Amino acid sequence: MNWLSFLLAGVLVYVAVVAFLVGTAFRIYYWLKVPRSGIKLGIFPQTHGRRRFVQWIKDTFLFPQVLDVDRPMWLFVILLHIGGVAAFVGHLRLIQEFTPLANALGKEGMEQFSLISGGIVGIVLLVSVLYLIARRFKSPYRDISTPEDYFLLILVFMVLLLGNHLRFFGQVDVEAYRAYVHSLLTFSPEFPAELAESGTRWVLVTHVTFSNLLLIYLPFSKLVHYIGTYAVNLMRSEAR
Amino acid sequence: MNKAELKAVTGVLDKGMNRQLLYYLDVCTRCSICKDACHQYVSTGDVLFLPAYRAELIRRVYKKYFTRSGLFLPSLYEGREVDDRLLDELYRSTYACTGCRRCMYYCPFSIDTTWLLGVAKAMLIAAGRGAQILTELAGAAIAKGENIDLFKDIMLDLNKETEKELQSLVNDPTAAIPIEKEGADILYAALAGVHSILPPAVIFHKAGLNWTLSLFESSNYGYFLGDAEKGRIIAKRIVDEATRLKVKEVVISECGHAYRVMQYLYETWANEKLPFRVTAMVEIIARLIREGHVEIPSGKERKLVTYHDPCQVGRNAGFYDEPRYVLSQVASNLRELTPNREKNWCCGGGGGLVAQPEFDEFRIKTGERKAEQIKQTRAGLVVSPCENCRLQIAALNEKYDLDIKVTGLSDVVANQLIGRDIATSFEAGQAEEPESED
Repeated sequence: MNWLSFLLAGVLVYVAVVAFLVGTAFRIYYWLKVPRSGIKLGIFPQTHGRRRFVQWIKDTFLFPQVLDVDRPMWLFVILLHIGGVAAFVGHLRLIQEFTPLANALGKEGMEQFSLISGGIVGIVLLVSVLYLIARRFKSPYRDISTPEDYFLLILVFMVLLLGNHLRFFGQVDVEAYRAYVHSLLTFSPEFPAELAESGTRWVLVTHVTFSNLLLIYLPFSKLVHYIGTYAVNLMRSEAR
Repeated sequence: MNKAELKAVTGVLDKGMNRQLLYYLDVCTRCSICKDACHQYVSTGDVLFLPAYRAELIRRVYKKYFTRSGLFLPSLYEGREVDDRLLDELYRSTYACTGCRRCMYYCPFSIDTTWLLGVAKAMLIAAGRGAQILTELAGAAIAKGENIDLFKDIMLDLNKETEKELQSLVNDPTAAIPIEKEGADILYAALAGVHSILPPAVIFHKAGLNWTLSLFESSNYGYFLGDAEKGRIIAKRIVDEATRLKVKEVVISECGHAYRVMQYLYETWANEKLPFRVTAMVEIIARLIREGHVEIPSGKERKLVTYHDPCQVGRNAGFYDEPRYVLSQVASNLRELTPNREKNWCCGGGGGLVAQPEFDEFRIKTGERKAEQIKQTRAGLVVSPCENCRLQIAALNEKYDLDIKVTGLSDVVANQLIGRDIATSFEAGQAEEPESED
């Protein structure tokens, strides 16, 4: 690993993970530190008990009322979030192979499966984020957008673009990536020979760099809704 | 703007900060899905009325003055200084809002724009820019509370007249509209005007309730103004009266925001528990009919009737079924607006807009959705249990040639009880003189 790779795909990864976790905790602490107004802000009809819980989960993860007013947005937002989770799960394979699945499909089959499912997810994510970017250029979205919005979209777009590049054009075997991830997990970041000698290395370093930046900024940006949404959507059904 | 003024304005965000507000400031992604939820944005296409932008104005000030990231990189958030331009924009976007909270219904984060605008109003008041008419009206209500003895005699005289009207309407010379009756079960807080007193009086009389009329009107311009302290003092007039008379229940007239203030806001504003139950007019009518205290004579209205869910009665208080149940007792042909209930469009007149001539043209323009909705039903009578809604819909009727009558829920019930056409209005001096020798 040269010094630049070591910095961006090594040290920065740790910085990002710590910033994300500490930042998240900091945001929660800061919210809870501020006194709550006693006024209940729920809207009606209201649900109670178990039904309220179900309602809360539905509002938080499906926001069905958006279907009434903006179907394309609903679709792409749902795809973006499901895709995000799917991509996260897919990456776990680089820590530990999904052994039962790999046993069932065989090594070749597993590679095929990974190529197809990961490929689909990558494309869907890219299309979704492109939709969000295009939407930002249209009024009234354009009039309300701040540089923060574009900055975040560009970060996400870069992560996805480079991730897809690795998926579709990368010349490196999954074992090499796994070796790199394992080196990170053992706090001795290193590229295996196959990766170090390949041009794909630079795509990987950029992919990881943008991911790091996104992760660092996440808790301090408007995307803090990854934790905030639970609280605000619970307030929706808050009864007197 | 000098330093002290600036500090007073931004200080509102600092001192007035609460957890709910902070969540809303932090969580919005400016997705602007709310654009199709707001009747004002839909009708004008002006970004100033986009709910997310109304909130964004406050967020930009907050970012600029109170966040590390905003202090460090204000341009990333378009952080804004508090200056005349900002306050102008804030005034227009904030005092124009009717507080219907339809945007909250559609928001994937359930952001309550009115909660954010509450802070904006407090900032405007701190800058000496609170809506003038609302300030005057709130001031008048407070003055009345402080000098009630000056008003009392005139009110008692007026009430005698109203009482005579009631006696003639129900054809019972013993019918009464008690005032300051200690030990009554119910204190009824009406609006200014007999149209808000007579219909409930008819219903209460027929139900044989032990009730008394409040000296104070239920409407609360302190709330519309966004001044919680004034709002509290105005509502406290009724609270004190109810406590003094030891009533068990305070019934709020057909006035959306007055119910919201008493039921949802007052206890927090005043930091005290109310020693009585707060009931909306629609709620008590439904209860009296269900429990058999009033019997609706047969012969239901067969003409087409539609019901407009006032935002403060429906979405913000949850009375969807009660008014529909009551209407079904007096009219056989109810046609719903589309959409209705929690998805109903705001009439465009709430939030104190009908009281502010500067918004006259604006509210007629932004009421176009409501006018369309009503037209589609082909109904000739629109029933709505909120004074603001009725005034606005009556104005829409004129401007959009809807050819309708607008009335309240207690009006149709009272009319049915006394055997009149349900659309008859209750006005002062319309009742025939009693035939007695008196």
